[in-house]
Amino acid sequence: MQHKLIQSVGIAWTLLYAIFIIWIYATEPRTFKEVATGAEVAVGTYQIDQAKFDAALQLFRQEKFRAARDEWGRADPQQQDARTQFYIAYAFYREGWGRVYNDDNLFKQGVEAANRAIRLAPDESLRVEDADLQIKTPAELKAELEQGTERSLDDLNPLRVLRERK
Amino acid sequence: MTEKVRSRNRALVRHVALPMIFLTVALLGGLRVSATDRVFVFVAPPLITLVLAVLLMLLFVRGGLVDLKAWLASEHPAIENVSHALTLLSLFFASAQAFNSVLPESGLLFWLFSFFFLWTLWNNQFAQFDAKRLLRSLAVLFGTAFVLKHMLIASLYAPEGGWLKRIMGTLLEGVSLGTLDAQAFAPATGYISFFTLALYVAGLILLPPAPVRATDEDAGRLVAAYHQLSLPERDAVREAITQDQIEIKRIEERTETETIETQLGKQ
Repeated sequence: MQHKLIQSVGIAWTLLYAIFIIWIYATEPRTFKEVATGAEVAVGTYQIDQAKFDAALQLFRQEKFRAARDEWGRADPQQQDARTQFYIAYAFYREGWGRVYNDDNLFKQGVEAANRAIRLAPDESLRVEDADLQIKTPAELKAELEQGTERSLDDLNPLRVLRERK
Repeated sequence: MTEKVRSRNRALVRHVALPMIFLTVALLGGLRVSATDRVFVFVAPPLITLVLAVLLMLLFVRGGLVDLKAWLASEHPAIENVSHALTLLSLFFASAQAFNSVLPESGLLFWLFSFFFLWTLWNNQFAQFDAKRLLRSLAVLFGTAFVLKHMLIASLYAPEGGWLKRIMGTLLEGVSLGTLDAQAFAPATGYISFFTLALYVAGLILLPPAPVRATDEDAGRLVAAYHQLSLPERDAVREAITQDQIEIKRIEERTETETIETQLGKQ
């Protein structure tokens, strides 16, 4: 009886440990902190750092987009929060937007962040009610960013300089 | 009582400690620490390490370090077979990761090391080995690769190394037309690798060639109890067993005679 118990415990423990190792090699955490955060994501207890998120929002409103993105990156190190990823994408949009031309590189990074936001809120449930933002959903933001990187005859329209940043 | 404790400890080692040891080796074998920003780098086992691990497992079976028929057999209960299969599987992955730990990550050195490992293991397949000699040979093999990778090559490519070391490293790169491509890691990587290899060898030492089963242990307990008896008591036990055997033989003979007589009567 005792042998059976030891065998069962051994099998369960071995399988759990093996799953942990596969998870470690699949996610490749760079520090012990990332291991801990990754574990939180896996068990569903992951939360963003709200204080850092608010600090980033203040920087965003002061048009310090790069600093805001860094702070949001620290608030959501595992890139698992759809709202934070939406704001990061928005920061890329605002920084990359230009009256004459857009920064393609920043817009592309913005599309990546918008895609992450869409992936994390697959049922399109995310709608950010922020009076400061004209675009409210990740899908709209993605469309705006993609449009910004496309080349068309409309780019030669001189009236483009009159358009407004959203 | 002591025998019971011993039996429990053996079961704990076989079903819990050994898989843990080997899986820890599998975890740490691919772990490096970056020299620049001191972060973890996980290197998945290259395909060649899996081939080397297969050869090593064959060697374990040939050398008698693992008696496969005793570990996995149809007469064992299913749960025991599953547990043993997991232990052997963890040994396989630990072997692959032990190679991964001492192989350079890329470039000409990776292929050179891989070739020497392959050559040694292939040659050993045709050599006469017993478990002890095999263990010694493996300790030397891994020890040599460890010294070459984590001490010799690492010191040549260390960013904080002296000018003489750097000149040697540059010369080597020049001679090999830049194909060496050795990556520099933080010194912690060497310590992790050392611990991993020590753990692997410890696991191999703890690994019994054939697992002792509960029924074998009962017989062992009986023999141990017999040896604790005084001489007259042992005589009494032997007499009782002999008496039993004589009685059994007599019954068998009587049954046989009766069967023959019945058959003759029918004819």
